[in-house]
Amino acid sequence: MVFAGVGGQGILLASDILCEAALLEGFDVAKAETHGMAQRGGSIITHVRIGDEVSTPLIERGTGDILLGFEVLEAVRALPLLKDGGTVIVNNKFIPPLSVLQGLAESPTKNELMDTIRRKARHVYEMDGISLAEKAGNVLVMNIVILGAFLAVPENPIKEKSLREAVSQRVKASYLEVNLKALKVGKESLL
Amino acid sequence: MSVLSINERGRFVLLNGDEAVARGAVEAGVKVAASYPGTPATEILEAIAGVSKQYGIYAEWSINEIVATEVAAGAAMSGVRSIASMKHVGLNVASDAVMTLAYTGIVGGMVIVVCDDPSMYSSQNEQDTRYFAVHSKLPLLDSGNPQEAKDMTVEAFELSEKLSLPILLRLTTRVCHGKGRVKLGRVRELDRKAEFDKNGSRWTMIPANARRQLKILNEKQIEAQKLMEESKFNFIEDNGKELGIVGSGIGYYHARSILDKDHFSWLKLGFIHPFPAGLVKEFAGKVNKIIVIEELRPFIEERIRCLGVEVLGKYESGLEEVNEFTPEMVRNAFANLGLCKKPKEQEELKLPPRPPVLCPGCPHRAFFYSLRTVKKDAIITGDIGCYTLGVLPPLNAVQTCLCMGAGISQAAGIRHAGVEDTIFAVIGDSTFFHAGMPGLLNIAYNDAKVCVVILDNQVVAMTGHQPTPESGKRVTGEEAKIISIEGIAKALGIDRVEIVDPYNVEETKKTIKSILDYDGPSVIISKRPCALLVKKGEIPRVTEECDSCGVCIKLLGCPAISMTEEGVEIDPVLCTGCGVCEVVCPFNAIRV
Repeated sequence: MVFAGVGGQGILLASDILCEAALLEGFDVAKAETHGMAQRGGSIITHVRIGDEVSTPLIERGTGDILLGFEVLEAVRALPLLKDGGTVIVNNKFIPPLSVLQGLAESPTKNELMDTIRRKARHVYEMDGISLAEKAGNVLVMNIVILGAFLAVPENPIKEKSLREAVSQRVKASYLEVNLKALKVGKESLL
Repeated sequence: MSVLSINERGRFVLLNGDEAVARGAVEAGVKVAASYPGTPATEILEAIAGVSKQYGIYAEWSINEIVATEVAAGAAMSGVRSIASMKHVGLNVASDAVMTLAYTGIVGGMVIVVCDDPSMYSSQNEQDTRYFAVHSKLPLLDSGNPQEAKDMTVEAFELSEKLSLPILLRLTTRVCHGKGRVKLGRVRELDRKAEFDKNGSRWTMIPANARRQLKILNEKQIEAQKLMEESKFNFIEDNGKELGIVGSGIGYYHARSILDKDHFSWLKLGFIHPFPAGLVKEFAGKVNKIIVIEELRPFIEERIRCLGVEVLGKYESGLEEVNEFTPEMVRNAFANLGLCKKPKEQEELKLPPRPPVLCPGCPHRAFFYSLRTVKKDAIITGDIGCYTLGVLPPLNAVQTCLCMGAGISQAAGIRHAGVEDTIFAVIGDSTFFHAGMPGLLNIAYNDAKVCVVILDNQVVAMTGHQPTPESGKRVTGEEAKIISIEGIAKALGIDRVEIVDPYNVEETKKTIKSILDYDGPSVIISKRPCALLVKKGEIPRVTEECDSCGVCIKLLGCPAISMTEEGVEIDPVLCTGCGVCEVVCPFNAIRV
């Protein structure tokens, strides 16, 4: 599985929670992520591999099963990791990079980006993560909403119970309720 | 609760490589841990500090890596177990201590953890620390995943005490920040009394003693060789095949992931120095051809060739000696050797890059704006920290980045060479403590007309907000004495020290202007806490007076400000209300 988005969107936490849930179910799991300088508002791509025996955390290009895109441009950037006919869940928010806002670089339009995703993937689930997070009670739980949506996808090997338990392990008690609601809202948005 | 506090042998937990090293140190009964923050090694000390009270460990952020190494050395010389952790370039800083520590040796186990950064995700260069093991004559273990990182840490302490030598443990970025399943071991409680042998002549490296100790160090190589030969981290998986793959680090695991394991015989190397020549020869006797898979330089390959064994190495496989490996690179290499098909080309759309940027509200941006406005043609040297991002447009405010602290002395050199431009050297507060103080003393002593700007956000921001000597806090959360940067600058001989608030743009510009005429070394301290750590101010709005001239965007480059079809927009989620754009707007159209 590939997580792609922009630094600050909560990808590290969301992917951690997924890994913990996989561990609870007895899977082997490996994850690769970037910290430090690369994190400051830059592109984030996190690889998660779940299986009976996982030897390396990095996904070979063209073999990823599922892509969770937290932002449209970054989802397309990570798209080469996905296999042809893979599954994409994408938050339909487009955040232009600073260079584009300053007129120093050009970007494909949001529609062009979405079309690129549709050409490559068999199943594309588009969602408005921010509104759904607001519905769950806090715009900051957008990352958990996307995890919730992942629960509704047929390729998902993780049970809802494990994901809920993993969320409980990783989230402060005072924020637990809104995060569990975010899982529910996300899942229901795809059903 | 930290998973490191779990004392349950055999339990599986999810750890990244850094946390795994920390766990290994805890299991080995470490007593003293010291480090300086640096990606990708930072989380090692943070994880140890998180359980320091529970296990009675002393943990500290030292002011730099050589200090960390010396602190750990002092502890190990006193018979307890210690760990010093750092990024690869930190080892350059520490190397003066490490090279001679190999001569003196230690009593309690000491592990020096070094995290290399292939592909330079967060570094100014790409080093291969395996060569430092040869250089220093210290044994080196090379880990390829979190489980190995933990197990090797535990083992490194044992090896260290058997040899009375510090042991180098190497990780790479993907191991440090890759998470994996780790099986926990028993936490040992070592009840040792720390004692320092005051009569040990081996601690004092005057030439006569050093000559003796070098001889001892050389004799220890034979002992280290024996321990290497018994090591569980070097092993053959003999599948009776003609082709044998030798690998270390994460490259070995990529190969295992891509190829059908049963079609090859395998030799995994983890204890890399002294080099396992015997095992390699044994392996060479079992297979017809050997393929080496290793990231960065051809360390293993060179050593195998020296044994007179033929190998298919970097040249034959096409694997480069720069950058980290990806699985598809390894597949390509095997395809070049005719062992599998080439990976399918993936369609790639041309996309604008999204490099890291200074955060909205960053006080560094505010200062750079003032500096560039007052003196657009000034030379501005810099070094390593968030502020290095000032190099990017539209600020274009940092013109050098060599190593920690270098900007100050480079500025002095540029001045002494006869360059007559105005010269500023910018440095962060933590970098100033780390490596800037000798440079500042040097410009005071040698009278270089340079203005050193200390961008003081009171924290090590880039690596995740670790405390500094100015924060009043230690890594364990205890209160600490607050050390004044102004006091240090004056004590180092700088007569002109100014303090500005970078959010106060007019005052800052005035101070910078006044420094231009000052004839001597000077310091400006630009003081504002990191924007990520403070409450937001009032968010301004764009009023009707805005004529979409775009000056705010062109001069500041704040991620919270964008130009849309409707005009300039301020994103209320990203904006911190620092107020700098309000001053920048020529039409006074941005107001709270």
